Parts: sequence; C-alpha cells; structure tokens
Amino acid sequence: MQNESVLLVEDDPSDFRLIQRAFNKLGERFEMFRLTNGDEAIAYLSGDDPYENRGAHPMPSMLLLDLKLPRRSGFEVLEWVRRQSSALSRLPVVVLTSSRHSVDINRAYDLGANSYLVKPATNSQLEDLASQFRNYWMSLNEFPSLAEQPRGMND
Amino acid sequence: MPEPSTLTKPSRPSIHREDIFRRLVDSVTDYAIFLLDVNGNIVSWNPGAERLKGYKTDEIIGKHFSIFYTAQDLASDKPTRELKIAAEVGRFEEEGWRLRKDGSSFWAGVVVSRIHDEQGRLIGFGTITRDLTERRHADLRYRLLIESVTDYAIFSMDPRGYITSWNHGAQRIKGYRAEEIIGQNFSRFYTEEDRAAALPQYVLRTAEQTGHFTGEGWRVRKDGSKFWASVVVTPLRDEGGELFGFSKVTRDMTDRKLLLDELQRHSKELELRVQERDQSNAELEAFAYSVSHDLRAPLRAITGFAEALKEECEGQFSNEGREFLAEITGAAERLNGLIQDLLEYGRVGRISMPLASVNLLDAIHEAKRDLGGLPPGLLTIAVPKELRVRAYPQVLKQVISNLLSNAIKFRRENSSPEVSVVAETQGDTVRLNVRDNGIGIAPEHQARIWNVFERLHDREAYAGTGIGLAIVKRAMARMGGTCGVASKPGEGSTFWIELPQANEK
Repeated sequence: MQNESVLLVEDDPSDFRLIQRAFNKLGERFEMFRLTNGDEAIAYLSGDDPYENRGAHPMPSMLLLDLKLPRRSGFEVLEWVRRQSSALSRLPVVVLTSSRHSVDINRAYDLGANSYLVKPATNSQLEDLASQFRNYWMSLNEFPSLAEQPRGMND
Repeated sequence: MPEPSTLTKPSRPSIHREDIFRRLVDSVTDYAIFLLDVNGNIVSWNPGAERLKGYKTDEIIGKHFSIFYTAQDLASDKPTRELKIAAEVGRFEEEGWRLRKDGSSFWAGVVVSRIHDEQGRLIGFGTITRDLTERRHADLRYRLLIESVTDYAIFSMDPRGYITSWNHGAQRIKGYRAEEIIGQNFSRFYTEEDRAAALPQYVLRTAEQTGHFTGEGWRVRKDGSKFWASVVVTPLRDEGGELFGFSKVTRDMTDRKLLLDELQRHSKELELRVQERDQSNAELEAFAYSVSHDLRAPLRAITGFAEALKEECEGQFSNEGREFLAEITGAAERLNGLIQDLLEYGRVGRISMPLASVNLLDAIHEAKRDLGGLPPGLLTIAVPKELRVRAYPQVLKQVISNLLSNAIKFRRENSSPEVSVVAETQGDTVRLNVRDNGIGIAPEHQARIWNVFERLHDREAYAGTGIGLAIVKRAMARMGGTCGVASKPGEGSTFWIELPQANEK
C-alpha cells in the first residue's frame, strides 16, 4: 500500500486532539497533518508561501474538512478545489463537521463532497468512526492521480 | 260659410274619393279631426272629436273653436294667434291644455293646418287633436322619479357630452344646480389628470361602442373637493339606432372607498407584521440552531477528555477523584441531551411537515421500539388496526414516544408503572389517550408543563430536560392537532392528543 496522507482542516484544537487520539489508537499510522482555517488550506494545496516546498509539505491524498472554519469556510475550500482546472480538482474531500443540518449536507454534496460525516459525541463513537474511516478510505478506496492532467485539457 | 264639400275640386270626378275620405275621418275615434272656416268656426266634426271633447256634432257645428281653450289662453288671445301662425306659415303645432264640454281639461297634442284653394286663397283650417294626458303623465312621472332621486346623480348628455338634464342627486353629489350646469360639458367632473389623459372622451367612446361604460374613480365637485364615483354611462339611441346622447348614473362611493382603502392598509400592515414575525422567528431558529452547535464543540471536548482521563489515568485517582470524574461525565451527558432536545424542538418548529395518512397503531409500535425493551405488562394498547390520522409520520412517532417515556418515567414509588394507550374516534377527530398510574400533576402546574425547560421535579427524582412536552405541543400545533392533560396528584395522568382522522391512503 502506498503511503497515503490526510490533510485535516479543523479549527478546534480539542476536536483535533481527540480526532488525532482516536486515529492514533488504531495502531497503524498514516500521515495526518492539520491546518486551522480555509485560507491556509487553499494556500497549502496551491503550494503558496509558506508551503512551496512539496518535500516538507507533500500533496495529501485526501481532505478531511470541517465546515465551520475561520476566514474561508469549508464550503469555500470545497468549491475552490472543484473549480481547479488541474488534476487537483479530483482531490477526494470528506466533510467532518458537527452540523446535521440538511441544508449543510445538501450543499456539501452539491459542491462535490465525496462523503459527509458528523462528529460523534463520545470518544468510543469517535474511535469507531476513525476505524471505519481507515478501513474504507485507506484500504478499500482507490485514489485518483492528482498529477496527471485531466483529458481534453488544452495544455 | 264654405261647406266642407267646397274644399275639394267639384269639376273632377272625385266624389267617390271624397266620400271615402269622409268615411275614413268618421271612423277615427282616437283623434279629433275637424275643420274650421277662415274665422275659426267649426264646420265639421268627427266621432273622435265627439269622444275627446264631449260635444255632439249638432251642438258644436258653427261654434268658434276658442270654446276649447282655457280662460288663461283666451285672455292672451291664443286661439287667434294660432290661426294667424297657421295662415302665415301653413301649420301650427303645440301641446297644451284644452277643455272638454264638461269643463275638465286634458293635455292635447294639436296640429292646425292651413287649407287654401287652387288660387292660393285661404279657405279654412284642418285641426287634429290628440289626448296626450296619459303620455304626459307617464313622462312627468318618469321625469319626477329621476329628478327626485337623491342618492344617485342621474343626468343626460348630448353625443358630445354636453349636459341636457340634471337631477337632485346630481345636484347633491356634484354641487351644481341644474341651471348652472346644463349646457356644460361633463368633462369638468373629471380631475385634471384624467382630462389630460382624455378619459371623458374614452368613457363616451366606450359607451357608444360597447353599449355601456362602467367604472370607478375620483371625480371633482363644484367646490373642487373630490369624491370616489361609481359610474354607469349608457348611450341613448332613437328608434333608428341613431345616437342622440348619453345617460350617466353616478354614485358617491367615497365612504366605501375610504373603508376599503383602510381595510387594505390594515391587511397590508398585518401582512408586514406576519412577515416581521416570520423573520424574527426564523432568526430565533437560526440563533437556537447555531447556539446548539457551538455548545456542542466544547461539550465534545469535555466528554472526550473526561473519557480519555478515565481511560489513561484512572489508576492514579482516589475514590473521590473517580466520583468527580463521574460527575463531569454525567453533566456532559445531560448537557448533550439538553442540546439534542433543544435542536429537536427547533427542528419541529422549522421543518416542513407535509401531512399524510398515517396508521396510528404502526406509529405507536415504532415509538415503543424507540424506547428500547419495556418490561412485559407495562404497556397495553387499545387502538383499532386500521385507524388512520392525518399527520407527519416521523413527528407523530416522536410525539407518542415523548408521551410514553413521560408516562413510564413519572412512576410512583413502590408501585409498578402501568401505561395504557387508547384511541377514541369523535366524529372526524381521533383522540389518543396515554394514561399512566404515576404521580399525577397538581392542577396549578398543568398549564406550565408544556413550556420549554419547565420541570416540576429535581433531577435526582426524575431525569429529563423539560423539553419533551414542549416538543409535543409544538408538533401538534404544526400538524393541525391539539393536546392536553387530565390528571390528579397521586392517581396518575392522562395525556391526550387529537388529530383529524384520515381516509384510506
């Protein structure tokens, strides 16, 4: 298995720590790095300053995205990703948020989210989520290439 | 004195024609037809004349025709004047009062024609008189009727809109007296803007082309004030279809118009207020929603780290420390329940609830399933299998679930809870009673239990958020139903909901 990595965009440090703990308890590790707002996420994916160095800041396999973020919201990040003319637009995006509001759910899918998960209330539920997430996304799922240009492009 | 026979030409063989003519005249009974000599003396008389004026032939021949005139007419020498006019212009025509033999008067239509011989010399006059009393009365009645109408302005115009008659109503409503307005154009009743827009011409044209014009609008009185007029204009045509004018009936509807305007203003205001209320409701919902979600983030942290602490550090705690940790976890769970109920309460007020036909018994069983395993014998259900109500399925289930969990929760000490669910049909309404043998509710508390966060007991006795019944009440209102409670402290409570019965799916 290729070494997959997840970019988690989560502004709440407590949520981040608990999510990280749940994933760590799975034992086997995959890379997860965290950003705390929408602007940073877009800068990272674009490779803008201070993230030019792809050696230190590799392109993630997928995005785990909170919706309620400072500066640009998760919706805006999602919209930005899908709007890219490069292969980046293929990036799998999973929403992980506290909102169960159908307006939010529908909007996320309308904008091209690949999955929508709600943050559980307890640790054990969170650990269960982490385990199933890993099993599905890191084992079953095939990731697209983010380097190969989409066919039919002019350049 | 010329004999009637001399009026015709004796040399022509027209004796038969003359005879036929005489017979014709003699047969006419509706018209008085008689001849006068040059001086006005009567020389012939027909049955119509006898009927009309009351004189027999032999008593009237030779008499002067002024015998038919009133004293007033005689005083002004009217008979002589009439003959003079007829002699000069060939014909005199008028309507006026005449007298019968018995002295009574009638309204006569009179035509006097000059008769001359071949040389053009005057030899007499022919007179035709009709009794127009009835017609005059009819006309008069009609005119008086229209004139006396005061609630409606009724007036007539010529084809170009110049006023030809005017009634009391017109005077009352528009302020002009007949003598000052007759001959004026009706466009002066319109506002300047309407005149500039050629509305008066449009009104007449429409009436002429379509047979009538009806409309409402502001019109101007003599004093310049305005009134709201309801108008009907009808074209007047003679027997040949030729337009000779218009009649116009105008009603002053200002009071009604003002009332309507006010009504409209009120309804607009009401609409605005409803909008404002809807908006503030929506804002309140949005507020509750975002508070609920923002409250959840720190709550997840409290729960999560308390659990992590327990998992990783429990061994280092004293018994008291472990109790404190349990308190933290319990409080976090309660807060979570509160937020969930609050969200549900908001959701019930917010979501659209398309009502459908729902099987009541199915809904009860689903609600029961949500409550988890209940001890056998606790719940008895008496609801007809086919009974259906109009409701929104998920919300109805939630309502029943809330009522069941309350009924089970508020049990009396040292007594096993018994809950019965019974449906009754009253006309088109289905009532579902949820009866328990629990602690009951004192009458003074029965109204407040439906409010949000309203609790009658401390947490240690009965857990709960105090939102369950508020959700029930809100949900029932949203579904067009009602709810209530009957209870005696110590004997239990019966909570009920009512919904319209639904027909088969």
